Amino acid sequence: MKNFFYNAAYFLKEAKTVIRLNLLSNIFSLFSTGLIFFILAMVISCWWISAQVVKAIQEEAEINVFFDESIGDGDVMQLLGKIKGIEGVREVRVVAEDEAYDRMAAILGKEARVLEFFDDNPFSPFIEVKIYLEKMDTVLEELGTLTGIQHVRDNRAVLDRLRNIAGVLNSLGYLVVAAVGISTLVIISHIIRLGIFNNREPIDTLRLLGAPEFFIAFPFLLVGLLLTLGGGMLAAALAAFALKHVYIQMAGPLPFIPLPPREALVSGMIIVVMSLSAILGIVGSLFGLSSAKSN
Amino acid sequence: MIEAKDVGLRYPDGTLALKNIDLRVEPGEIVYITGSNGSGKTSLLKLFMGAEYPTMGSLKVLGQPVVKGQAAAIRQLRMAIGPVFQEFRLIKGRTAMENVMLGMRFLDIPPGQLKKNAGDALVKVGLEHKAHSLVENLSWGESQRVAIARAVARKPALILADEPTGNLDKDNALKILELLTSFKDKKTAVIITTHAPHLIEGEKDAKHIRMEKGSMNWERLG
Repeated sequence: MKNFFYNAAYFLKEAKTVIRLNLLSNIFSLFSTGLIFFILAMVISCWWISAQVVKAIQEEAEINVFFDESIGDGDVMQLLGKIKGIEGVREVRVVAEDEAYDRMAAILGKEARVLEFFDDNPFSPFIEVKIYLEKMDTVLEELGTLTGIQHVRDNRAVLDRLRNIAGVLNSLGYLVVAAVGISTLVIISHIIRLGIFNNREPIDTLRLLGAPEFFIAFPFLLVGLLLTLGGGMLAAALAAFALKHVYIQMAGPLPFIPLPPREALVSGMIIVVMSLSAILGIVGSLFGLSSAKSN
Repeated sequence: MIEAKDVGLRYPDGTLALKNIDLRVEPGEIVYITGSNGSGKTSLLKLFMGAEYPTMGSLKVLGQPVVKGQAAAIRQLRMAIGPVFQEFRLIKGRTAMENVMLGMRFLDIPPGQLKKNAGDALVKVGLEHKAHSLVENLSWGESQRVAIARAVARKPALILADEPTGNLDKDNALKILELLTSFKDKKTAVIITTHAPHLIEGEKDAKHIRMEKGSMNWERLG
């Protein structure tokens, strides 16, 4: 261990020499790992954004309960209380017919003038029930047992589709992470093998002088680590730049999409990419070392 | 220090490189191994440094049996030996000083001492002025001296020099032999191979092994 610290500067210098001896090939490797990590960074970012969107929409999951208009205010309040008591209900409130009219006018915007063709307010009052999405079936079942309810409107089709899209993005994310991992391991282990092959004579000499295997191998491990960290940094910088522009583009035409704060997304993405590049660099180098040794 | 009993070496291709080697080398001795090309000199040195393993008989170097399957012990043995390889095996892209230091970096020597030992060794071989020259810019003779400095800086118990006089004229060859033998002391033995027996005529207090087709004969010099 003492040797390791004494030789820290030597290991770095050796790693630099190994990189220098095959400079062009190492530069290409750095750029290719950088591009692979860039794809990974963008997929991870999309993954997080979609998860955030789905979560935000799920938090807005609600069902509308239309009650019999002939029942009095007291009965409505009683119904409200009963609904509130159902497991899976987060919030309950009555939306009066005027509020329902105003909401629709807000949604229609300039087209709201179509509502003026009606002599009376065409909307009915209803009870807005915010629920925990996973309890939707239970809530609907319980509502079916209550009296005074005329009609229940749920958005199950939309919510189910959202859940499916999130699932597909999730699977795609895992697939890309696996593909990136394998590609990086192959590239790095190949570079390390090449480095060992190019340095086989000094390696043999060190062995004959009695150098321990870790002493011989460590500079090559460092090369793998430095290349993937370099690739990771390149990818993080490119991805941060790309995300900035994606956010600017989305802010205008798609303002209703609840994007996570950019700073948090970028810093999270940088941590993940750099950690993955470090892990893959070390593992790839170890693969390269062990395959070179077995040959 | 070295104890060989009926040692033989057969390479995987079937070539019998050494046979019936019986020898004993004690600390403080100088041993010359002479013989023509292919007589087994280098193979014998390879056995001493654990680069090859005897296929017959038994060999102990610095108390360590030289046998296959004891990588850690062989590594320890190599750490106690100062080899001067026939083709020097200096590491390109590094300076003379770096090459000498490289041979000691894994020997538990503090960084300050490492530099001092390397500097002292380069002074001993008369190359202190070339300490910071890249080894590829050194002449043949200078490279050889760097290789010797790398071997002796480790303060080894056994110095093994393989054909250090090859490609040198008589005067320079004698100077190299004189330099190498100057590192002999009470604890350190020096073994040198050469294909030119005339270079060691008149040597006193040294053992001489003459190799011929893988077999050896002892001769006392002086």
